[in-house]
Amino acid sequence: MKRTFSYKLNIFLFLLPALILFIGILIAPIIMSAYYSFHEFNLVANTDMEYVGLENYRILFSSMLTNPNTGKLYANSMYLGDALAHSLILAALSTFIQLPLALIIALKLSKGIRGERTYLSIFFMPVLISTVIIGRLWMNIYDPGQAGLLNAGLRALGIDQWLFPAISKGITSSKLPFTGQWTGFRETALIAAFIPILWQYVGYHMLLMYAGIKGVPADLLEAAQLDGCTEGQVNRYIIIPYIKPILKVCVIFAVTGSLKSFDLIYALMKDTSRAELPSTLMYKLLFLHQRYGLGSTVAVVLIILCFLFAMLISLAFRDKGAKVA
Amino acid sequence: MREVRKFKPSTVIVHLLLIILVLINLFPLYWMVTFSLKNNDEILGYSYVDEATGEKVLVPPNHVGLPQNWEWNNYNKAMNTGNMGQYFINSLAVSTSVIAITVIASFMATYALTRLVWKGRKMMNKFFMLGLTIPIHAAIVPVFTILSKMKLLNTYAALIVPYSAFSLSMGILISIGFMGDIPYDLDEAAFLDGCGVWKIFFRVIAPLMMPAIATVGIYTFLQCWNELLFATIFVSSGKYRTLPVGVQQLFGQYTTDWGPIGAALTIATLPTMIVYALLSKRIQDSFIAGAVKG
Amino acid sequence: MKKLVALVLAACLLLGITSALAEAEKPTLTLWCIATESDANRPAYEKAIPEIEEALGVKIEWEAFENDSYKTKIKSTSAEELPDIFFTWAGAFCGDFATAGKVYCLDEAYAEYADALPDVMTKNATYDGKRYAVPLTMNIVAMFANMDILAEVGYDKVPQTYEELIDCCDKLVAAGKIPFGCSGNATWCVTEYLEPIILKTIGYEALGDIFAGKGTWNDPAIATAVDNFQDMIIKGYFDPDGLTLDNDTVKANFIAGKYAFYQNGTWNCGEVAAAGDNFQVALFPVMDAEKATYGQVIGGPADSLAVSAAGKDPALAAKVAFALGKKICQYSFIDAGSGLPAWTPDYDTSAVNYLTTAVSDMVAAADGMVLFGDTAMSADPANIYLSYVAKVYGCEIDGAGFVEALTNELQ
Repeated sequence: MKRTFSYKLNIFLFLLPALILFIGILIAPIIMSAYYSFHEFNLVANTDMEYVGLENYRILFSSMLTNPNTGKLYANSMYLGDALAHSLILAALSTFIQLPLALIIALKLSKGIRGERTYLSIFFMPVLISTVIIGRLWMNIYDPGQAGLLNAGLRALGIDQWLFPAISKGITSSKLPFTGQWTGFRETALIAAFIPILWQYVGYHMLLMYAGIKGVPADLLEAAQLDGCTEGQVNRYIIIPYIKPILKVCVIFAVTGSLKSFDLIYALMKDTSRAELPSTLMYKLLFLHQRYGLGSTVAVVLIILCFLFAMLISLAFRDKGAKVA
Repeated sequence: MREVRKFKPSTVIVHLLLIILVLINLFPLYWMVTFSLKNNDEILGYSYVDEATGEKVLVPPNHVGLPQNWEWNNYNKAMNTGNMGQYFINSLAVSTSVIAITVIASFMATYALTRLVWKGRKMMNKFFMLGLTIPIHAAIVPVFTILSKMKLLNTYAALIVPYSAFSLSMGILISIGFMGDIPYDLDEAAFLDGCGVWKIFFRVIAPLMMPAIATVGIYTFLQCWNELLFATIFVSSGKYRTLPVGVQQLFGQYTTDWGPIGAALTIATLPTMIVYALLSKRIQDSFIAGAVKG
Repeated sequence: MKKLVALVLAACLLLGITSALAEAEKPTLTLWCIATESDANRPAYEKAIPEIEEALGVKIEWEAFENDSYKTKIKSTSAEELPDIFFTWAGAFCGDFATAGKVYCLDEAYAEYADALPDVMTKNATYDGKRYAVPLTMNIVAMFANMDILAEVGYDKVPQTYEELIDCCDKLVAAGKIPFGCSGNATWCVTEYLEPIILKTIGYEALGDIFAGKGTWNDPAIATAVDNFQDMIIKGYFDPDGLTLDNDTVKANFIAGKYAFYQNGTWNCGEVAAAGDNFQVALFPVMDAEKATYGQVIGGPADSLAVSAAGKDPALAAKVAFALGKKICQYSFIDAGSGLPAWTPDYDTSAVNYLTTAVSDMVAAADGMVLFGDTAMSADPANIYLSYVAKVYGCEIDGAGFVEALTNELQ
């Protein structure tokens, strides 16, 4: 019997479709990107690959260095530094605001509240709406003119009177006053772009966590209640440790998702530079600048970052688990 | 857990907060539908000169109210520009094919990873899980080159192949959970009946994996239905254009006319929402199954 | 009964095949352009295409894309996937296609049209002595003025000097009016302000050299020009909402009377003229009289059609491109008022709107022309340049910073 189940050709054939797709479309491209990153070429014009060594990396990372002669950052329109900083901020917001919010809702809903299913359905709904549509919808919400919903609301409540000057004071990147152009300044554009990104996926994480909580054995919970545990204690000491594997998945998805996100910013702003993320920077270098080597270098940085964070998160969860046990 | 439904003030507060969240989720949709039925005057506000008094009268924009004049014509405009019906069918065709390929490839791979005995299957599993963290967009240039070498650009396959590849890791992760629940005794019994591995896979395992199809399908659908970047770059002809790209393009057509933009947004959202409304419980259950099994 | 059904079905099939064959006899060409629903040139395309289909016995499947996304789309389309005919901007934008061997040389097809299309109009899309694009219209950057609003602050003509313009703007601001509207969402709109200001500070020869990569950005006069532009923004001469508005909205605002001036391409003439007779066109005034004159302009024949080299029948496509270009040019000029003709008119031009006529005179009297910067430069420098132009409009860098950055990155 063993022989049938370990017959090499069979194993190979079963793996074949997945391997072809996986190696052809995922693994080969990573290697090719790495190769491209040491070259400069024009994909569309079919120019020859020109070996440039580490030049692309130098160009990208020099934007993060200070020029000792002037004391300022090296002038560089590529701003990988900004893009990385933005994606880290997004990852942090996602981990420390979006996920806790999702967890709180999941905890409440999973305890058999009236209308549980309806709430669940509505919170999950934005996940199914196309990101392009959400981007455009929020673009209209942020519109600075008469039609913009956000500014109209603020004006109606009279909040704009003190809020706009206060925001103006907080804006250090520009000399212009803020009068409601949410996507026009670095500081506000970042927030304006992140709110819909976070909003859209709260439901996704909530449903994952909800599923995890529903999977907690009932006798464990009953035992805790008999011991006189409060709801908070049950959550803290039983449910959350129990659903740790799911929380880990959520954190990995939230962080790598932040590094990956592209669609929304692309749909929300024509000029993405004020809320640049690595993926939008890559897009710009590839298809606007036609610098395929430089764009591939950003892709390589992005892949390395995603792996790095996935590993760090796994380690973080393993450590904590060890301490609790 | 016992369900005790007593009136408690804290429950009221919880409901209140949840309802606020519900409003935050639903309001943008309500707003989208209402402005899709308004004309620009109503959306932007307008002024006119009162003939009796000769004074300029300002009419403020109607932001949150229902439309005063229902502009159904906006929907005609949105439908006539571009080819929304075609784009929708394209998206559907691409998603369904991707789901089919992902399901078959990941079931087969999972069978080899969990039921067949060989050295290095743990390694292989880890190898496949790498795909969970690889950002799809980072592969765009090489995938473009590969597709162009294979003369696949500007076909359905230009999207189906990469989407399937990027859905595979999740598909395998979920399938492992489901396949683990199928008792090994069944394989052995089938083997003793004289079945080979292929027969066991197709006759015994595959039929029992039916529930996994819905779950793998949901996760795959979420990944490819809304994808924008590949769909923009790999497909240039309108014949194969998917919905997100079509919608994005339509925005370029009507930059100042808010009504048709709203109508396009609504048209593109509605089908998914209807399906979701009808099947929300099943969709959620399948999604949840993925979380528990994965 | 079954036989009858089978017969009917077979007849249908036959009919289908024959009609498909009849359809197949007509060669089909694909065309991409930027004439979207809200584009001024839309009517010209809608009118010209059926006429050419009829005249040349071809079928043209055409599609329009939004300006900014079109630029990325057309550049990221591989040679085989390019449509037979596509809209392009002359200068380095089209030059990138020519060096890549993706566009078909049009010299042969041009011979037939040499009388109607002056050679000088094809100059911007001629590389290594070969023509690669059919020009449609030629446009310059002009300052549109709403005379009703200017009258409110005591101006009955458009300010001709820089001092006058500043005085006029100050008065407008004091009267609670917004002098200028400019979209920050589409950076090319900012260049429509910035380039004339730099031009009127350093002169057309210097600016032309810089765009061609022969001159240097490292010129304190450019920093001064940028600072002057930024002063105007900071003093509130520009609609602050403009930072995140798109160009169509800004244009609509101007036409609706929200701004006194709108500086943009002369392809807007028809649209503005259709809104009333209270508008005028002028040029941005001279800022340094030693280097520049009033008659120097930004612009030239840029809007063009190119033919894919990898198409099924590029020779036919080239023929269609010329015929179509001539017609689109005519309707853009006469009906839409969206530009001056690159082709010599052989039709009655008395119906041309009053603003296009005025632009016509300005171009005839022009002292020198510099092609739009983002068209004149190739993709990488053009986008680096645009990214800093956006920062200038957002007041994130000043003139010195602009000059320093461009000197470092483009030289």
